[in-house]
Amino acid sequence: MEKNNSSSQRNWFRSNLAAYGFLAPAGILVLIFFLIPVLLIFYLSMTNLATTNFTTNVSEMEFIGLENYAILFRDQFAGKIFFNTVFYVLVTLAIFNVSLALIVSLLTTHIPRRAGFAFRAIWILPRITTATVYIMLWRRLAVEAPYGIINQFNTFFNQTTYNYLDARPWEFVILVNGFIGVSFGMIIFTSAIESIPKDLMNASLVDGSTIMQRIRYVIMPLLRWPLLFVVTYQTLSLLTSFEQILLLTDGGPGLYDTEVWSLTAYHRALDNYFGNTQWGYGSAFAVILVIIGVVLAVIYMRVFRFDELVVEPKIEVL
Amino acid sequence: MNKRLFTMVLLVFVALSGVFMAQAQDTVEITIRCKANVPGGEGWRCDNFAEVEEQVEAELGIDLNLNLVQDNIDWGEYKQEFVLASEAGEAPDIILSGHEDIGAWAPAGLILPLDDMIDMHEEFDDVVSTLWDSQEWSGTIYGIPQDAEARPVFYSKLLLSDLGWTDEEIESLPERVAAGEYTFEDMIQTAEQAIEEGVVEEGNGYWHRTSNGFDWLMPYFASGGEILGEDGKLVWDSEALLEVYESLADIQARGVTRPDMLGLSGSEVWHPAVSSAEQVLFAQGGIWNWADWAKNYVADQGGNDYLLENIGLILFPAMSAETPLTVTHPLSYMISSDSEHPDVAMELLAAITTPEANNRHAIDSFHLGILNSQVESEAYLNDPVLSTAHYMLDYTRVAPNHPDWSAWTNAYWLGIQAAETGASSPQEALEQATAQLQNEAGDNITYK
Repeated sequence: MEKNNSSSQRNWFRSNLAAYGFLAPAGILVLIFFLIPVLLIFYLSMTNLATTNFTTNVSEMEFIGLENYAILFRDQFAGKIFFNTVFYVLVTLAIFNVSLALIVSLLTTHIPRRAGFAFRAIWILPRITTATVYIMLWRRLAVEAPYGIINQFNTFFNQTTYNYLDARPWEFVILVNGFIGVSFGMIIFTSAIESIPKDLMNASLVDGSTIMQRIRYVIMPLLRWPLLFVVTYQTLSLLTSFEQILLLTDGGPGLYDTEVWSLTAYHRALDNYFGNTQWGYGSAFAVILVIIGVVLAVIYMRVFRFDELVVEPKIEVL
Repeated sequence: MNKRLFTMVLLVFVALSGVFMAQAQDTVEITIRCKANVPGGEGWRCDNFAEVEEQVEAELGIDLNLNLVQDNIDWGEYKQEFVLASEAGEAPDIILSGHEDIGAWAPAGLILPLDDMIDMHEEFDDVVSTLWDSQEWSGTIYGIPQDAEARPVFYSKLLLSDLGWTDEEIESLPERVAAGEYTFEDMIQTAEQAIEEGVVEEGNGYWHRTSNGFDWLMPYFASGGEILGEDGKLVWDSEALLEVYESLADIQARGVTRPDMLGLSGSEVWHPAVSSAEQVLFAQGGIWNWADWAKNYVADQGGNDYLLENIGLILFPAMSAETPLTVTHPLSYMISSDSEHPDVAMELLAAITTPEANNRHAIDSFHLGILNSQVESEAYLNDPVLSTAHYMLDYTRVAPNHPDWSAWTNAYWLGIQAAETGASSPQEALEQATAQLQNEAGDNITYK
């Protein structure tokens, strides 16, 4: 009986060997670039590693258990930074990364192909521009009169001038990141729309649907999978992105006004004007971010019914 | 052996001897990393080494290959780069950084103690003795001073004249501040008056630093705060801190300082406005700003001459402690523990510790001298800019070299942001800053 069992296990393994072989490259990448770093950061978060005792030798690091987490949860501004992050991710995601991306995709696939391509190319520019150059452009737009471009218009039309980065920091943080974020969703949505069979699209027109009805009843239902992907990927991407905020406002003005969680992790662990960085404490912030990301990914998969989306096509079942 | 053959053998022998002798002379690679605003005249921080390369080669009988790396990246990244490079075993032999880094890098073992090597070079006897205090950690010297500076308050002679001040009143202001006759409150009142009379716009009466930094120690010291206790712990003096936070809330309430001062763009707003001498009455900055302004902001108007005519410098005026002062932040050359040739590195440092080398940097970048012979040298004394600021070294204080300095100053900065932006009252700002420090540094700090 046991012999039969082990023999069937061997057969099962053999028959699935090819599948594991195909999965291996992705699996190795996940292992090297996600699982191992997460484990390392988790361990670092339980040490007091700082510049004063810095080492890369894990055995030499001083283990302090959950002390960093205790400090983090006692931090009077952790709550503010957390809700800043939620606000930043939700607003940028909702307005730009999903909605505007979808609108740009729909518009550019309903106009002549070349014109659509040209508009999409323009929308990709913020993503392919170097972050520092991109932020310098925005700073030059936002800075006060007489140096800022927007304020030069304000002056020309006799309007009040502002230091926009101080007066409207969130608006600029969201605009700056949103313009980058649109391109990702736009590419995914456009390719999904373009891949909808033409006979389906034409059939809806033959049946007398308007453009809006075709978008509502034909295109949108077929975009569920790309939507799940864009929402999930961009949520995680926004949660961990901070470089534009760092360059634009550095979490200010004022008291953590635009400071987000990942920026705090960076400030603590990697950047300190006075040199004594807190790797262990910064890692605790990073671990919280990983936990939030994983929880959100699982929630998204449930909400969008991921299992149904990846079910085998019926044509192959038949 | 015929004569021709003998000559040929002799020539080959001589040629081979030359080759072997050349090989016998060691090539020593030394990498030196400096942070410097080169367009602002700070390039001599690294370039001075190139000037003494041949001299050191001759003295030590070695072939030197100097690798000088200097740019003006952010301090945070610059320091991080050194820490990571040290751990990777690729640190430069000599690193130039703020003296406060000794407090973190010495206990981490990233830099070498220098006492013994300093004793072997008489050039270091010339260093102004008080500067050595800033190079110590736990009683041992880890750094060689590179420069010194003052952080004065710049005042616009042009705007004070518009306000009705006589030339004598304008020119005597530095002396009156140094004597404690003209205080911080007097300065704010003058600024207030300038706004009322339309000489400057609201918010342009007094500008201070826009980000975290050593300058903020000045109002703390001026309010009677002490930083380092006798037990070696940093001191958190609530009374002095509250006075600082109240003064920040006060200058905002009186409209003397613009509400978006913290985070204001330096290159786009702060420097053009202050260096023009036409927009801001008082502005607290660093003396090195002067060289940068002359070269990069008011060059078309006459550069140095324009600044000398229209801008003056005063100490940070007295507050409740009744002492005008400034803060100096000497940069230090430190030798990495990874260096394979610390003796050669030290020889290079000794070679650039001369009045000539230090004057090149001091005069080009407007930094104060660090050598006794330098500050008495003709070139230094004849420089019209340095001669107006050198007396400030007599009033200077320094930040401590201490592992808890980051936590201390970050908590202090948090309170500054809270009080100045109006996010909290001065009392609340103090409580928030204290809670932050207690949470992160706990009992390592003495709370007064």
